[in-house]
Amino acid sequence: MSGTFLFLLTVLLLIAAFMRGDFALTLIYLVVGALTAGLWWSKRALAQVRTKRRFNTHAFLGERIKIDLQVQNEGWLPLPWLELREALPVALVGPDSFQSVIHLGPRGEANFEYTVEARKRGYYPIGPLSVSTGDILGLRESQQAVMPVEHLVVYPKILTFTSVKIPSHSPQGTLRHSLPLFEDPTRTFGKRGYVSGDSLRRVDWKASASVGQLQVKIFEPSISLETFIILNLNAEDYYYRSRIDAEELAIVIAASIANWVADSKQMVGLMVNGRDPLAEAGEPQTIPPRKGKRHLMRLLETLARVESHDHSALTPLIEQQRYKLGWGTSLIVITGRADDALLNELYQARRGGQHAILILAGRDGSDELSRQRAQTYGIPVLSIASERDLKIWMQRSGGA
Amino acid sequence: MNQRSASQVLGSEKQFRAISYTLVFLMMVCGLLTVSILLHNLLPGWQSNIAAGILLFILIDRLYTYRHLKSLTPFRSEWAMALGAQWIVIILFSRLLLSYANGPAAVLADLSLFAHGYFADLFTTEFVITLLLAGALWYLTGQYLDLLDEIGLDMKQAIDEDPPRTSGEAIPAHQRMGNLIFTTGVILVLLAALTRIDVQAMQAGSVGLPVIVWTRFSGGEAGVLLYFIFGLALLSLSRLMSLQTYWNRQRIPVSSHNLPRQWAWYSLLFLLVLGVFVGLLPAGDSLGFFSVLGTLLGFLFRVLIFLSYVIVGLLLTLFSLPFLLLGKAPPFVSGAAPGPMPGLPMQPLEPMTGNATWELIKSVLLWGALLVVIVYALIHFLRQHESVAAVLRQWRLVQWLTLAWQWLYTHADKARGDLARLVADGWQGIISRLEGNYILPRPGWINLRALQPRQRVYFFYLAMVRRSGEQGLMREPSQTPSEYAVRLGQALPIVSEDIDSITAAFVQARYSRQAVNSKEADFVKSTWERIRGALRNKRTREKDTDQ
Repeated sequence: MSGTFLFLLTVLLLIAAFMRGDFALTLIYLVVGALTAGLWWSKRALAQVRTKRRFNTHAFLGERIKIDLQVQNEGWLPLPWLELREALPVALVGPDSFQSVIHLGPRGEANFEYTVEARKRGYYPIGPLSVSTGDILGLRESQQAVMPVEHLVVYPKILTFTSVKIPSHSPQGTLRHSLPLFEDPTRTFGKRGYVSGDSLRRVDWKASASVGQLQVKIFEPSISLETFIILNLNAEDYYYRSRIDAEELAIVIAASIANWVADSKQMVGLMVNGRDPLAEAGEPQTIPPRKGKRHLMRLLETLARVESHDHSALTPLIEQQRYKLGWGTSLIVITGRADDALLNELYQARRGGQHAILILAGRDGSDELSRQRAQTYGIPVLSIASERDLKIWMQRSGGA
Repeated sequence: MNQRSASQVLGSEKQFRAISYTLVFLMMVCGLLTVSILLHNLLPGWQSNIAAGILLFILIDRLYTYRHLKSLTPFRSEWAMALGAQWIVIILFSRLLLSYANGPAAVLADLSLFAHGYFADLFTTEFVITLLLAGALWYLTGQYLDLLDEIGLDMKQAIDEDPPRTSGEAIPAHQRMGNLIFTTGVILVLLAALTRIDVQAMQAGSVGLPVIVWTRFSGGEAGVLLYFIFGLALLSLSRLMSLQTYWNRQRIPVSSHNLPRQWAWYSLLFLLVLGVFVGLLPAGDSLGFFSVLGTLLGFLFRVLIFLSYVIVGLLLTLFSLPFLLLGKAPPFVSGAAPGPMPGLPMQPLEPMTGNATWELIKSVLLWGALLVVIVYALIHFLRQHESVAAVLRQWRLVQWLTLAWQWLYTHADKARGDLARLVADGWQGIISRLEGNYILPRPGWINLRALQPRQRVYFFYLAMVRRSGEQGLMREPSQTPSEYAVRLGQALPIVSEDIDSITAAFVQARYSRQAVNSKEADFVKSTWERIRGALRNKRTREKDTDQ
């Protein structure tokens, strides 16, 4: 169109030169004015558009997340049309994504609301929002701008345990234990008459005065369960046919155990050798054992983001890490396959006073072999091929 | 697409069609006005008013019957019959009206010629020209309607979920519409220019440049001006239609239900502003630009005429030689000898108006318009010919010019930004002073001892924000103090408690009415000093890491 425009202008200039009248000049003004104003409008209009997204950046599986999108025209120049296209992950919305056309007057504002469904754990980009506009004459191609991306974290699936048998040798905790070795002087269980050999520290003087005989306190044995979950996401350590499902199952196991430990007001930590899109070098940071809900959310966030990775052996990482962990810490290693190096490392940890448990996630033909080897090293092994197995384990543990 | 939205689209399509047909009608009428005035000017003896009436009738007929003709398959018997019948009626009607314009006797004479089979005598020059114009009008109107229909049909295709008919490389219908409007406009401009030529004076035998009649707007020129205004309105409408077609095809819902109405208002406003702008700008002759250009073109034109005279004279002399040798007078003696060679114009023509300042403004505007056109044309050309642009980029002069432009652009942009910031700061200052809600005195005049405890808390907190910002821990405008404290705490875990403490003190001082005493302010000061130490350590560590 601009070629014809230029031709018209040239003709008008020539005629103006010959005629020297109002007519050609007026037409030149009209044509140049329309062209300039049209181009200026389309360029200027986009510069004054501001967008804002509001949504909960974290969600649990199955939740529906409401996203509020605010589009604002900050200038006095109206926008005759504004095309909005939000790029959304297929895992959240399916084939349909948010798109709309609006008109915004001077200083106008439009608000939209759409929902996405957290169908799968992950770290999802919400956006970018592509905004297009132009002039009313269509003298110029539509101008396009891309607004920034924000992210949504969908936590992994969590199965609720009522009780899990995770052995620990850390005394003075909050979990009841059967071994009298771990008696906790802060947890008075009852009283009995004094017998020779009882420590005087155990005498309950008030009760003795009341009864008229020496009474001693009986303490409940308790342990502190400091758990460190080691999640192996090295792709080579999973059976290739069921790798994706097995890795997801491993993440569910890790999240469920972490949730249970944190619910029990115990310390839990995490080490994972996958890839974290937010981490600087791509590898997620090791999270040392801590208590509390906030800490649990941090663990779950890492588990939400983490992805499988090639060539990231687990054994050297355990070797580095186990020296930093306290005596009596329970190491729960979740992996698809266990080789001799890993079992040896866990054996060393056991010798160092830590308690290691091996959980084999997914189906692999070498499960039985791994189990036999682990028994040789004295390491308890648990095979969980599916979520059903995990639920059965939960029930057995609860019943036990 | 659901039934409701489909019916909405179809409803709006009907409205679009009605408005666009009206606009096409008005544009064509403007064109007819120009053509009839030109005919009247060139051939005063002809019945130009009758011809214009005939053309108007054909225009209405074309608009009315277009949909029906379009529905018929081309070159089939039905189509040929409909078209043939229509044109027979047009031809007979035109002939009858042209004859009737000369009186009832002329009609009877023409009927007599028809009865006796002298058909050739019926086709007078006037009649043939009228028919040619009718054909051109028929074709041109059809072109407009075809394009509008293409846009409308696209909309239907989108509703019917058919694939788009046009290929991706084809020029979009809207763009073709623009080209058609401007191309027709160019022809009309040329025709309107011809209406200014005084044909009678030319016939009287003047040599050189045609005699131009100096008047303000003539009817033909007003017609062209109106044509362009209606053309821009049609362009705007077709833009909306093409966008709606695209949105329908892409299944993008239109959330603003009043978009077409708003579009119409904006189009009207745009044209109104443009009209006011055009009306306010000075028109007429300009001493600077047009006088120079007109003088130059006039000189070139005279040189061409002089050269043609010389060539024709030489040729005639050559052909006369055999007759002269035989002693006879040559049959084509040219009485007119070539005139004198035109001299270079020493000074341009005088401007038509006298006010020097006014003339200067007009001149500046015109030269500016010319400059815009030239620069735009150059940019357009270079964008289309990347190879030329690549060669040009290698020239040292162009490189220097590019560098100079970049320098100028950067500095101008910076200066603009600085100026805008200054204005904004100044405005904010005025507003703050008027409202009396500034939290700290003007920077540079701060005396800590003179400050109240509350203001000292502000000062230390803002110092923390500023210092942290300098180290890349900037506070986002959307962040609350608590959010910022979390971020800062993550970056400086050693003093995270201090950060929480200073933030809490600031929030309390800023947003509560609770009194702040000097002790609390001193405590905040000591907290700030610890944070400052941590910031210094961080910077030192980062420097060491870099080294």
